[in-house]
This record gives sequence, structure tokens and C-alpha cells, in this order.
Amino acid sequence: MAYQLYRNTTLGNSLQESLDELIQSQQITPQLALQVLLQFDKAINSALAQRVRNRVNFRGSLNTYRFCDNVWTFVLNDIEFREVTELVKVDKVKIVACDGKNTGSNTAE
Amino acid sequence: MAAAAMAHANLVPKLYKSIIDDVIEGVRELFAEEGVEEQVLKDLKQLWETKVVQSKATEGFFRHSHHSPQFTLQLPHSFHRVLQASAASLVIPTGRGFQHFTAADLGASRVGGTLTLPSGVACPIHVPAGVTLQTASGHLYKVNVPVMVTQATGDASILHHPVQQIFQPLGQPSVLQASIASVAQVNASSAQAAAETLQPQETAVQHTVVFQPDVMEKNHLEKSANSTLVQQPSVSQQQLATNAVLNQRADSTEKPQHGNLHTAVFTPESSEGFSHAESLPNNSSSVLLDVEGQLDIEPQESAQQQVSDDIIDLIIMGERFDDNAVLKDQDSIASADKMEPTEQMESNLRSEKAVCSDIEGIIQLDGTGDVSPKEEMPRIKNREENEFIGIIESEDLKVLEDEEDDEECDSISDMESSSSGGDNEEPQTDIVEEDPLNSGDDVSEQDTADLFDTDNVIVCQYDKIHRSKNKWKFYLKDGVMSFEGKDYVFAKAIGDAEW
Repeated sequence: MAYQLYRNTTLGNSLQESLDELIQSQQITPQLALQVLLQFDKAINSALAQRVRNRVNFRGSLNTYRFCDNVWTFVLNDIEFREVTELVKVDKVKIVACDGKNTGSNTAE
Repeated sequence: MAAAAMAHANLVPKLYKSIIDDVIEGVRELFAEEGVEEQVLKDLKQLWETKVVQSKATEGFFRHSHHSPQFTLQLPHSFHRVLQASAASLVIPTGRGFQHFTAADLGASRVGGTLTLPSGVACPIHVPAGVTLQTASGHLYKVNVPVMVTQATGDASILHHPVQQIFQPLGQPSVLQASIASVAQVNASSAQAAAETLQPQETAVQHTVVFQPDVMEKNHLEKSANSTLVQQPSVSQQQLATNAVLNQRADSTEKPQHGNLHTAVFTPESSEGFSHAESLPNNSSSVLLDVEGQLDIEPQESAQQQVSDDIIDLIIMGERFDDNAVLKDQDSIASADKMEPTEQMESNLRSEKAVCSDIEGIIQLDGTGDVSPKEEMPRIKNREENEFIGIIESEDLKVLEDEEDDEECDSISDMESSSSGGDNEEPQTDIVEEDPLNSGDDVSEQDTADLFDTDNVIVCQYDKIHRSKNKWKFYLKDGVMSFEGKDYVFAKAIGDAEW
């Protein structure tokens, strides 16, 4: 079971919306949609683990932190994200991080 | 350097595309097992890619983006009938020419038939009455009045502003058939204006009385239905009172088979069918007729007590019923043939009256060291009134009297609420003074709510989170970032922050 963490991304949300539309028009069943989402979880977890190789550094100030159910949630302010090539500055960002050591079944966002 | 930047910019679209392809391939078998057509899978992929592109999260995702706003017309069973009634034909232009779909063509697909309009429709669409429209987003709209739907843009959002949304279950099929064909133009760009123009046009329709409550949103219909339903209980309660009175008269006449009366009377009140509410007067009269000559003496008392309890409840709910009228009826019945149970009833009623007057006399007040209202009840019943009268302050007494002037006999629960309402006023006066002193202590709670609601989100996994005093170090991996709508990914991310 892969993390369902990535469902709240652009890719994940657009998939869920598309599935909802198909359910509304009764072209698929909700059960099938759930299966698709599970497949999506697997695909994105493996894609991120294998096909992505870049590194990012960032620095900012920590506004809040929360650790609940082995999920860290941070809110940072005035962050600079630095990659080899580009620099992105954001005034506020929320980080949701699941435990990377043990990829057990997890339904956190 | 520039190549690396471009590589990363290209990385995300390619990555997403590969993920989409993987998912679609992975579920292809699932779809086949479920018996879902291949076309649905293609639709899913198309929808997904469209949305990703529209979100502008990636650049250069697709070179050949095909915007396909889809309209699906779901034709109801009676579509062909309605078409014949309104004598209109479905006109769906495609931009180059007008394609006419006659009723015969569309009648072939009766049950749940869908008609997908070609993409890129940019011309007015004439939709006859009785057609259910469904947008790409899945909203269903039923058109009761033939409309012209003009599409200003090529978006699928056009039908977010349909003609009407009518809920069929409320059972107004006659309205559909009798609707007069009035063409209204709906512009996607000015939906609200269109809604406003529609309403005055609807007034021209004969069945205005039916239409006007049917506001655009189906929720309103449900609410109106609920409101009409809610009104019924008050009617049914009045009916109940008359029933109870009639029952008394029926009971006083010694007749067998009281059980019938009992069940016949009390099922309307127990059931929540609102048709019963209207037919209650009929029921009561018919029951009365049936009862004469059918009552039993033995179960009569128990039933009478139940009925009398109901009457007592009715009496206690003083403001809704005419106490005097009911009591007079009770007295008249008491003077009727059977004395014993009626006397018992009468004594019950009188004791209840006494309690009511006692409650009226005891204006409960608690001090700041309040006890729960439940504990007050036994005190009332123990009649330790003198204690409380001493405690009552004149100001609060006036307040409570003002509250209770309109209510003759409150139920005990009402007393509790009024007394506790009076109680709340006392400590409130103290708190008002303290508020300014403590108002600065609270950190605004909105921060936490709004704080976590931000557009810039990173979803990832953590390898290690380290803290030293207020210096935090983050070791993250496999993350997807979204800043101001743009997406990024990383395999590893290391960060520092100070709290």
C-alpha cells in the first residue's frame, strides 16, 4: 500500500475530479474510481522514487509545526527554494510530510 | 545552466505524462474486468490531461491540447411526448451549419440516452422542454421551458447557468406537460442576468404559481417542501386535540371495543405521514361513528389515562391550545354518564392546574453559584417555596415576569429554560466587566485556521526532522511542490528554519 499522500496534488486532484465526473455520468462505479486512485498512488510513489533525481534546498522561518499520527505538518514563512538553476521565493508554504522510512499503509493526506 | 533549467521545466510535464500513462495502463485491465468500455478509459485520460493543462501547473504539457467541453443531454422517458406537445425540435448547431435533430431521432434513445454535443460549440443551442441537461461537471438540469442556450466561450461552464432545475420526485408532471413554450436566452457570461430575465418570463406561464417557488436551485425546492411539511405538525396537533376531546366523549359512552378507537386515533398521531394530517378530521368523525357502540369498559380506563395524559400535555402546552375550551370540554364530559374515570381525570387536571399555578408563582432564580436545573425540579415539587422567594430579587423577578406574562402555564421544561435564561443574565453582568481585562490574552484563533489553508503546498516524505533549541533542520524526499500554481518535484530537499 502506497501513501495516499499525493492525491492532494495538481495531478491527484485533477484525477479525482475526472473520476467524479465519470461517476456522476454513471460511466464508472465509485468502486472502480477507488481502484484507479489506488493505482495512482502506486504510480506516483514509484515515479517519484525512481524517475526524479533532483535536489532542492530551502531556508525560511518556521511559523508552526505539528506532529500527529507520524505526519509532520509545517508552515513556513519567507522561504527561498534553491535548486541548482533557479530560485523561488514564497512568503508562505505548508509542508505535509509522511514518514519516509516505513512505507506502510497510510491514509494521511 | 539554461539547459538544466529547461530540463527541469520539461521534467515535470514529462513526469506527469508518464504517470498518467502508467495509471491508465494499470487500470485498463480493471476497466475491462468491470465491463467498462474502452471509450470511458479514453475519456478519463482526456479529462485528466485537460484538467492538468488547465491548471497551468506545468508548461508545455501538451502541444495539441484539445479543449472538449462536453454537453450530454440525457433524455427522459417522456422526452418524445414532451417534444410533441411543445412541437419544438432540437437544434444543435455545430458552428458551420445547423444540425436538426427531430423528435423522432432523439426518441430512439429514450431511457437515459445521452447526446454528446461536438466540441467547440460556439453557437446558440435551442433546447426544448423536458430535456435534462448535464454539464461536463456532472450537474443535472431539467429544462421545463424551451430555452436557447448561448455559449459565449468554448468552456464547459456554459450550462452552469441553465434554465431551471426542477426536482421530479416532488411529483409535478402535469406542470411539464402544460408548460407554455417561452423561449429564453441564456448567456453564459451573464448568468445572473439570465436568471433574472427568466423569472419574469416565467410569470407569463400559466402555471406561474407552481413555477415561481421553483427557484433555480433544486435545494430551494427541497427546502420549500420541507417547510410545507413542517407546517403540518401544528395542524396535526390541533387535530389531535379535537381527537382527544372526541375520544373523551366517545369513552364516556359505554361502548365495547375501545381498542379499535385507541389504535385508530393514535396511529395518525404516531405516524408522520402528512396526508394523515389533512385527513384527521375525517378520521375523527368516522372514528367517532365507528366507536359508538364499540367501546369496552375495561381497557377504557387505561386508554383514558393515556388520553388524559395527552390532554394534560396539551393543556400544559398552554399557548398553543385554548386551555379554557379544553377544560370546559373536560368538565362537560365529567358531568356526563361515567363519573369515576372522569372524576379521576378531573382531579388529574386540577392537580396539574395547581402545579401550573404553583410553577407560575415560583419564579425560580439561582445565584451565581448555580446548580443544574434538574436539581431545581425536586425542589419545586418539595414545595420549599419560601426558601426561594427569599432569594428572589425584585429586579430579576420583573425580568422573569416579563418573560412569562404571555405564557399562562409553562411546562416544567419551559420553566427551567426561563429560569436559566434569567440566571444567565446575572452572571453576564459580571462578565461584561471582566471581558476587557481578559480580551488581550487570547491569541487569535483564526491564525491556525487560515494558516494551514494556503496555496503553496509541499507534499513529501521525511527522512529526518531535527531540532536544536529553535533551529529546525528538515531532510525530506520524494516531494511534489506547488507554488502559485506552478508545480515542481524533488527527490531530496534539505531545509533550515528558525522557529
